[in-house]
Amino acid sequence: MPNLGELASYLVGLVTDAIGSSEMRLGAVPTVAILIVLLVLLSLIARPEARWSGKGLGGLGRVGRVMALAAESGADATISLGSAGISRGASATERFQTLAALPLVGYVADAAARAGVPLRVTTNDPVAAVLAQATLAGAHRRTATPERASAAAIEYVGDGRAAAAAFALATARPHGVAMVAGGLAEDAMLVLDGVLGDAEWSVGATASASQAAGPLLDGDGSLIGPELFQAAAEISARGHARTAVLAANRLIWGAIGLLLAGSLITWAGGTEVAAFLTGR
Amino acid sequence: MRRSILTGIVLATGLVVLLDLMVVNPSLDDAAQAVNEVLVLLAAAAAVGGGATLVAFHARNLASGDGDSTGSIVLLVGMAAILVAGLRPGSSGSSDPAVLWLVAALLAPIAASVFALLFVFLLGAFRRGFALRVRETSLMAGAAALVLVTLLPIGGQAGEWLTTGAGWLRDVPLAGVFRGLLIGIGILVAVSAARSLLALDGDDD
Repeated sequence: MPNLGELASYLVGLVTDAIGSSEMRLGAVPTVAILIVLLVLLSLIARPEARWSGKGLGGLGRVGRVMALAAESGADATISLGSAGISRGASATERFQTLAALPLVGYVADAAARAGVPLRVTTNDPVAAVLAQATLAGAHRRTATPERASAAAIEYVGDGRAAAAAFALATARPHGVAMVAGGLAEDAMLVLDGVLGDAEWSVGATASASQAAGPLLDGDGSLIGPELFQAAAEISARGHARTAVLAANRLIWGAIGLLLAGSLITWAGGTEVAAFLTGR
Repeated sequence: MRRSILTGIVLATGLVVLLDLMVVNPSLDDAAQAVNEVLVLLAAAAAVGGGATLVAFHARNLASGDGDSTGSIVLLVGMAAILVAGLRPGSSGSSDPAVLWLVAALLAPIAASVFALLFVFLLGAFRRGFALRVRETSLMAGAAALVLVTLLPIGGQAGEWLTTGAGWLRDVPLAGVFRGLLIGIGILVAVSAARSLLALDGDDD
């Protein structure tokens, strides 16, 4: 029976073997530089007083009032999560804008739930749709309005920037409140015009530097560049973690279902579903 | 799954990917690849869910007579065509000639037609912009007009001046604004990402 000393020696051996079989990918200086940047960021993240502050970004403070007006006039509210998505082949910076847009969606959804305004969220990415679904569920939970949850809908409009743009143009009509938040590219003007169009009140938010002019031209309010992240932080990412948990749980169940269905189809001699779905 | 478990998983997987970026180790490389494969699986599951939702939404529209019935029919028929082409027995999936033809002959031209509308919608956006905020939109329109003038295909000495001016506009004021935006975006992306991943938003389970 091995004693504690042997166990400790074994564990130390494991670690030294692992270190011995490794080598630096970037060299000492770049590695230390990366770690220093990480430390600085962590210190910024962990200290609440280091957080930014500002007021009235994008006119978001008016959302409650304009939502009440929409309720009075029987209008609806609509949100587009841009066209970058989360699991799409866009750059990481673009896709992160979709995540940053979720607190804004939660904020508008809170106001819509309180006012009883039907809210529709559209996205061209299925993972973003799952997250948005969890965000809306969170809004109705926070505002204790579960009976109004059926008036809120998430719509997956299909993949691709062209799908987002074409859908926005095809479904353009006057809304009470309209918002486009997230990554945009060459489709920006089409999505913005289609969604914000003739809305009573609208806001465009994107951190895509090349599309900064779009929200300025089309929205009553606009969040440009860093302002998208700033606004998300100011109105607080409240519910963000719960959203992630709810969405992750749904995705896990979806993955299990997909594994089972794919296995059954393959077992029954059908087509290799995984290859088609993942484009391999 | 509780938030603390999810945060733990995110931290562990993030650490593995980060270490794999900095250190060459076969075991670490395998672990990072496994994480990536799980991500692909989750995305595929979400894609199937998204597709099913899309079908359900438009099938419900058709059944209840709400919305644009023609659009719903076109969408459902289009989805069916792609699925039949890609999943029929003997098909080679996404690289099947029938799928490739549908993409090249239908999807690509339709997408190109949609994007061809950009110029018209840009003019429409300027009209709306002038109605909403005259000063900012005038500034933007003026700057756009200035750039257009410098890019005019004019020869001779005047053309050289315009070309030099266009280069200066692109390299100095435009690049400066872009870099400023990108630096701000980069810092806030890093901080926001870390706060999200570390669940530093005071939420409960």
